[in-house]
Amino acid sequence: MELEKILYQYFGYSYFKPGQKEVITSILEKKHTLAMLPTGTGKSLCYQFPGYLLEGAVLIISPLLSLMQDQVDQMMKMGEKRVIALNSFLSQEEKRYAMNHLDQYKFIFISPEMVNSDWVVNRLQDIKVSLFAVDEAHCISQWGYDFRPDYLKLGELRKKLGNPITLALTATATEKVREDILNSLGLSNANRVVTTVDRPNIALVVEKWNRYNEKFDRLFQLVQELQPPGIIYFSSKKVADQTASFLRGKGVGRVMAYHGGMEQEQRILVQQQFLNGQLDIICATSAFGMGVNKDNIRYVVHFHMPLQLESYLQEVGRAGRDKGPSVAILLYVPGDEQLPFQLAEGELPSSAQLDWFFSSLKSNPDFLKENSTISPDLRKMGGFTEVQWRLVEDFLSVHLIEGIPLELIRDKMKRFVEERLASKHTNIFKMKTWIDSAECRRLNILQYFNENGDTQITPSQCCDICGVNLQNYESRVPQEGEKEEYLMWKGFLRKLLINESAPK
Amino acid sequence: MAYFDLIILYCLKQLNGERTIYSVYHLLKGKKSAQTIQDAHLFSLTKFFGVFMTLTRSSLEEAVHSMSKQGYILQSELEPQHYTMTEKGNAFLELLLKERPLPVYLDGLKYHPLTQLVWERISILVQVVSNLVYQENKYIPIQKGKEIHQWLKNVLRKHSMDRAEIGKKLFNELTSCLERGEGLNPLVLSLRLTGHQIIGLTSMQAADELKMERTAYHIEFLNLLHFLIQDLEKNPESYSILTDLLMETDPSLVLTLSSRKTYELLQRGIPFEKLPSIRRLKKSTIEDHIVEIALNVKDFSIHSFVKKEVQGEIIGAAKSSPTRQLKTIRESVPQANYFEIRLVLAKLGE
Ligand SMILES: [Zn+2]
Repeated sequence: MELEKILYQYFGYSYFKPGQKEVITSILEKKHTLAMLPTGTGKSLCYQFPGYLLEGAVLIISPLLSLMQDQVDQMMKMGEKRVIALNSFLSQEEKRYAMNHLDQYKFIFISPEMVNSDWVVNRLQDIKVSLFAVDEAHCISQWGYDFRPDYLKLGELRKKLGNPITLALTATATEKVREDILNSLGLSNANRVVTTVDRPNIALVVEKWNRYNEKFDRLFQLVQELQPPGIIYFSSKKVADQTASFLRGKGVGRVMAYHGGMEQEQRILVQQQFLNGQLDIICATSAFGMGVNKDNIRYVVHFHMPLQLESYLQEVGRAGRDKGPSVAILLYVPGDEQLPFQLAEGELPSSAQLDWFFSSLKSNPDFLKENSTISPDLRKMGGFTEVQWRLVEDFLSVHLIEGIPLELIRDKMKRFVEERLASKHTNIFKMKTWIDSAECRRLNILQYFNENGDTQITPSQCCDICGVNLQNYESRVPQEGEKEEYLMWKGFLRKLLINESAPK
Repeated sequence: MAYFDLIILYCLKQLNGERTIYSVYHLLKGKKSAQTIQDAHLFSLTKFFGVFMTLTRSSLEEAVHSMSKQGYILQSELEPQHYTMTEKGNAFLELLLKERPLPVYLDGLKYHPLTQLVWERISILVQVVSNLVYQENKYIPIQKGKEIHQWLKNVLRKHSMDRAEIGKKLFNELTSCLERGEGLNPLVLSLRLTGHQIIGLTSMQAADELKMERTAYHIEFLNLLHFLIQDLEKNPESYSILTDLLMETDPSLVLTLSSRKTYELLQRGIPFEKLPSIRRLKKSTIEDHIVEIALNVKDFSIHSFVKKEVQGEIIGAAKSSPTRQLKTIRESVPQANYFEIRLVLAKLGE
């Protein structure tokens, strides 16, 4: 059986990307597999491909609803109709229909909170699951930067489904996290396919400035000089918005902001415009990038300091998927670490909030609904943010199912929050250490992920420490818009709706 | 003057100090309360109902404050939330309106709930037909949502013709419609459309492209869509594809959820007297629902609620009272209760 032939037949590609073939072979040999592949190497192919060769369905657990929807859209777009996303977006009606016709689907995406329902689990037990795929598997580890308590239930679910062949996928996970993933899923012997986190065609640059104004001026200068398209990452929606309109005002190319606070239609348009080459620069928060498959992004600038090296690498990795020379520039001024500390704290409920929450639950059991959901009134009254609330809900439901009394859950949760905060702080310090380091940035990252560093990259394309030459990344191709025809409405509509070159 | 301020000033002029500035807030946000809807009719502000759904109280207060500072409006001494126009304000507004007349086709009260739906439908229809015409089946649909895709499927099935044919037809219908509207700039719509290998602009981008103020663009966009809807309603025979933009919009969809339930029960012939106990709501709440239904559902008959001769007397009293205040009408028609008066006024408003 020649895998490349099948690849071409189903997906239209001639070659596998690094790691894909190893993962697929491992699964087809019926081995549990942990795969760490960098973003942009087509992780989804690793479960889609075996799906076509194995009998039965592929169950994919995915943490982010938007990401899940993107995946489903992409597959539908490629002509695969036997795909469904089971998540809280479905109406009761749609859910019921899907559950009663589960055996008709080849690819079933499911969000972890759906696993709480016995009904759902029972239906899943009725079908044959040939592959159990966990996307963003680092979410299962308490050491991972994006831990989600409801991922802890996945080991249990695996067992209930009769220990199907399992694939754990992640883009970035340290050795410790990888161990944790395998333990939580109950996989004692698994194949590991770990590709390097290094992206040799992306130069890594840190620039230190003394003041905010200097940093902003430098950003303005960079976007004028660097070859677009590019992404500028911000930790604040407001600053992303303001910078985008500042740049537009200055006439710097075609710039738009993108963040979670925008309406869905706008988000889709901006993302599609960028993919379609109608925009040069996106001023984004970390909400941008999931499911964005654009291979000619030439630069990524970080205007704010990321919360950990893992997310820094994920964001940087959106550049240069075409293997062309690309650059990542992080701008830093002293005191920039304050924002990550605030953000980290904001993601977790405070001790006082938890005390209040549990005493309210105790004195008023009505707040606790069936299947362990909590009345959303409590969220408002306790002033929980969306992220905090999700954590509280997840944590509570996981432990209530095990029948643990409320006081114990409260104490457990407090300890948990403390540990999480400590671990987030450690991550921020590691990020800061990396910024302050005087060693090659690339080698430093490889060490962090326990890789042997022997990259042979010319210093002028490696990093600021090795002696990068930013001129390599300056704009050579002037950007040209096609404005005129746009502004003749009738001609524009004609072009849109009448294909003059179509054969009669 | 910013276009937003112009609209606020116009609203305040219409209110003539008889309502608080917050009634403008509710009106522009499109609050579906009987009071707001009645005010919209009473002060001839139906145009602007629900045109700024994301308005905040503070941005309204800011606009009012700034215009009061400039001497266009005057705060009432007794009721600080009421404002009247100054002479300067009146003259200024008149001048502004000469320069930029109010949008002709805009009718928020009538079309507010339909507008978003029609936009979503037209944008997905153009995108899908464009890609059909260019034989491209790999693209990301610009609109999500099951219902709209179901609608699209129905439309395409209904017009199952040659793909080139459907493109041509849609082009002809769209262009002839857009050319029919007086004083409309078709670019306001065309720039927003997505098709094969071209992604439409966001509202903000389109405004910038046309060098229009964003608020002015937004209002112009609504104006154009409302024209389109009116034209489709008036001349359905001229459009075979576009009329489907209005397909199956249940009249009761414009009602609030709770009123819709009341409406459904009435449709099933449940008598009014039984509704409070069935719905476990106060009688006055049910009455509010019925007034809302009367305001929104064209062919809803109020004869079973108000006797014909009482209706006539209320109408007579309303016509002789310029402000149509409930209290004055009640005084001249003592045999009618407030519910009956509101109901008759609701029907009269149309
Ligand atoms: Zn280096």
